[in-house]
Amino acid sequence: MHDVRFTGEDILARQLELAEANYRRLREKHVRSISVLGAIGSGKTTLVEQAIDRLQGQGLRVATIAADSAGDDDHRRFVARGAKSVNVNTQDDCHLDAHTVDHALDELPLDDVDVLFIENVGNLICPADFPLGADAEVVVISVTEGDDMVRKHPKIFAQTDFVVVNKVDLAAAVGVDPKRIIDDYSAVNPHGKLFLTSLRRGEGLDELLNALGLGCTSTQW
Amino acid sequence: MHEYAVVDELIGALLPRLAEHPGRVRTVVVRKGELRILSDHALVNAFEILTKGTRLEGADLLVEAVAAAVSCSACGYRGPAGRFGGEGDHFSIPVLTCPQCGASVQVDAGRELYVDYVTLSDDSPVDG
Repeated sequence: MHDVRFTGEDILARQLELAEANYRRLREKHVRSISVLGAIGSGKTTLVEQAIDRLQGQGLRVATIAADSAGDDDHRRFVARGAKSVNVNTQDDCHLDAHTVDHALDELPLDDVDVLFIENVGNLICPADFPLGADAEVVVISVTEGDDMVRKHPKIFAQTDFVVVNKVDLAAAVGVDPKRIIDDYSAVNPHGKLFLTSLRRGEGLDELLNALGLGCTSTQW
Repeated sequence: MHEYAVVDELIGALLPRLAEHPGRVRTVVVRKGELRILSDHALVNAFEILTKGTRLEGADLLVEAVAAAVSCSACGYRGPAGRFGGEGDHFSIPVLTCPQCGASVQVDAGRELYVDYVTLSDDSPVDG
């Protein structure tokens, strides 16, 4: 018996390198990039739709990468709002990876894009280990999933700096107290930023966009 | 079930590096930081299934945990991350705030995921 020792290179090194390449590529083109992930039906697509409207109203050019297991429903919704969009079907994969994003970027006119939203497959857990190279990551949950989402997934929220709790207008109807979610999140991540939103009504979006440096008073970079 | 994608990357990276090392692969030891969202059980299952028909078939995957460690630029703390939870049925998780002063911290350890070493025996991998 003998051992072969390795140098400690990350198993996902290939993915990390691709994510870093995506990051550099978007920086060079002065594209601000936001990765949006979260559970199925939490409101990721609505968030991106509303952000498209808001940012286009500020004169910013918005592009999207819409990822789903199958179909192009989200992609069509973004295109209908005037975004340049690439549809990605991950088929049986439960997450986007940096390699797929790299190919999607090839299809976007990055010289004519100010802000890029990358909407991941509806899945709270699996995308967390696959960096894409975006500037910021937003995790979307909604009150209809219950007020125990953070305590059930503390490791994810401990590492997530921007959290959207959507559908707060339905909180009373589903018997959820958003304060429990806020308290759980501040316990695992006291420095994170949490936003209560009703995205269908456009409520709470401005605060999120401001925190992401995309508010109407933010300086463009 | 993204563990399959991770193990797929692991196998793809490991096989070419083992090419210059003859012998039967007995054990692959992986070190996994506790901030990773990966199930040890699913990794082992994925390894067993995805190595079929490769030189790694029949080898054991051992996953060793690496505890999270942080450093704080505000107060100079350097050491284990603070913990949250741990009562009743809940396992405790590392939090990324300084256990000494409460400021945001840098992660020094806990996000790694790498092959530490592979144990080979001297018999041929095709013998049996």
